[in-house]
Amino acid sequence: MAEITAAPVLPPNPRFGAVLRAIGGIAAIGVKELRGRMRGRRAFIILTIYLLLLGGFALMVEQIMEQQFQNPFAGASATAGPAIGQAIFAAVLLLMTLQVVFLAPSSTAGAISLEREKQTLELLVTTPISSFAIVIGKLLSALVYVFLLIAASVPLMAVVFVFGGVGPEDIVRGYIVLIVTALGLGSFGLLCSSLVKRTTASTAITIFGVLAITIGTVFLLVFWQAMGSFDATGNRRPGPLGIRTPYPLAWINPFLAQADVLCGTESTFGGGWCSVVQGLAPTADNGVIINNGGGGGVAVPAPMPMPVPAVPEKGFAPGVAVAIDDQGNPVANDVAAPDQPFGARQDTLWPKTVAMWLGMSVFFILLSVQAVSPTRRWRFLRRPRRRGKSPESPESPAP
Amino acid sequence: MTEIVRTEGLVKRYDGTLAVAGVDLTVDAGEIFGLVGPNGAGKTTTLRILATLLAPSAGTAEIAGMSVTRNPDQVRRVIGFMPDSFGVYDDMKVWEYLDFFARCYGIAPAARRRVITDLLELVDLAPKRHEYVQTLSRGMQQRLCLAHSLVHDPQVLLLDEPASGLDPRARVELRELLRELRAMGKTILISSHILPELEELCTSVAIIDRGQVLAQGRVAEIEKRLRFGAVLRVKLLLEGEALEAARDRLAGDDDVASAVLLDDGTIELGFRGDDEATARLLKETVAAGLPVVSFSRAASDLEELFLQVTAADEPVAAA
Repeated sequence: MAEITAAPVLPPNPRFGAVLRAIGGIAAIGVKELRGRMRGRRAFIILTIYLLLLGGFALMVEQIMEQQFQNPFAGASATAGPAIGQAIFAAVLLLMTLQVVFLAPSSTAGAISLEREKQTLELLVTTPISSFAIVIGKLLSALVYVFLLIAASVPLMAVVFVFGGVGPEDIVRGYIVLIVTALGLGSFGLLCSSLVKRTTASTAITIFGVLAITIGTVFLLVFWQAMGSFDATGNRRPGPLGIRTPYPLAWINPFLAQADVLCGTESTFGGGWCSVVQGLAPTADNGVIINNGGGGGVAVPAPMPMPVPAVPEKGFAPGVAVAIDDQGNPVANDVAAPDQPFGARQDTLWPKTVAMWLGMSVFFILLSVQAVSPTRRWRFLRRPRRRGKSPESPESPAP
Repeated sequence: MTEIVRTEGLVKRYDGTLAVAGVDLTVDAGEIFGLVGPNGAGKTTTLRILATLLAPSAGTAEIAGMSVTRNPDQVRRVIGFMPDSFGVYDDMKVWEYLDFFARCYGIAPAARRRVITDLLELVDLAPKRHEYVQTLSRGMQQRLCLAHSLVHDPQVLLLDEPASGLDPRARVELRELLRELRAMGKTILISSHILPELEELCTSVAIIDRGQVLAQGRVAEIEKRLRFGAVLRVKLLLEGEALEAARDRLAGDDDVASAVLLDDGTIELGFRGDDEATARLLKETVAAGLPVVSFSRAASDLEELFLQVTAADEPVAAA
């Protein structure tokens, strides 16, 4: 018998063997996926069109704002620049959030199920490549394009600095929320793809999930708050099902997180975005929503760049008086939370969203790994065991 | 011969149905081992368990001494698997396809280039190197899939219905390729419900039906063991009544169970005896003055054997 030549495969083991193999596997999947996705000019034509649309949108928002400020009664023209900057920031950020919220999960919703449908997954799982590497490789290569779109928008976003009203830290916060949202919803799409056999079903479930996360959470919060209004003594009643408003629902909504980021650009409490966030998810329970009378719209913006306010803009504890100086601006008091990285304050919403989605990404990825792995599945992911015994059951040896 | 694949009491149940009901297989290194059986007999399930794609409900399976359930990662390094229906990636060139799988096995870049060139040469796809995979013909895709299962130079090849959907020419080419691989020292497990294609190729077979191995061993051994009788065809230079008289005379022999006169004048004998008895019968026939034109044992092929063994109640698809 001819001697079997040694396989030219990296020897398994040593210390970092598992890590190196995982990286090699992720790279293998990534190279393969990107070869398919990025071949030809298609990807770059789409990128160009995307940037043109985003730029056109920003320009239109700028025009609208400019038009408003040409009315001499609209406000002091000194505040026009910051107001325009904030409007462009809000418009572009929310549009990009919308894009990420749908693009990221739909680009992963077929990642595994397409391989199943095309019967290539079996070829893949019989290689020594780990299920973990398959899942991570698929996720990253699907998200690379989303990240590319996000990164390509940075120069466009920088236009807001021309107008002012938005600080660099606001933009950084916005991008952190975007990237984490892409990761979280991308892994949600991947989980659907690995659990559901057909891509069409997986995509449908994914989109339904996205709608639930974005629209559903807001609706539930509105519903709960409407049902659990104040009683005669001014105390808040519990809402439906006898439980209080499930505010954590607001944490998973990327749009609310972005509204919270936008709130950070507003100079005084009670600005439009802050009211939205406070209205749906008061950061202090039964917090008092202070309306400064301006109500909605852009509240008197301050010249750029905005310093991180030392005063909590929202989440006033009940009964805590807020000191106001001569100009009507709040002054620092001892309820101010310590500054955190990127100006994250303890009472803001977006860091919760970021933490929530990072955690859920890990959870979704682990579940996906189990669903992809052909043999070593966790019990609860298995289909229910057979009920009846087969009539021709043999006397098999003990398992 | 050292054994390289062994299963013991392999059982696989799918929600209430028993796909594999206690399969014991032993395959020696360097063999081309055929799994024969009708559709739904459990061939594919058995191969998929060996390929670490399915966990058996009971029983053990080992490849090169490693358990497919306990050490799937190690097993995957020594096997190359080609499923019965396999997909190809769109948007991928032939060399990229092989490059991808070579990367999956962690083969270093320089070795990868060499392996891809060698394999494309082996499966006769070298001129197609830069073509897109989906533009290849079915036979070429099959060969490409076979090449993919060879990138890591596995000891054992598990091929599930590799010739299905191939035209006769592609089938011959595949057979040649498998012989070549055997000469390179690979052990090949191949499943098929098309018997002639295995008969010429396999050194050993296991006949599987309804999840159980009915017979296993070298093709010749199985034939010997299972043959309860042979069919002898005798052609005499006689016609009409003389021929019938000759048939009656042959039917009178102790070892002859039945004698049928066929339309073309051949007498077909159901014969119980061994080779010696066959020689004796021929000698007696000649001695009796009957003009023997030909006297032969009907070649019993695998197909006949298979029908005998399975006594299938459903017609066996055979080419």
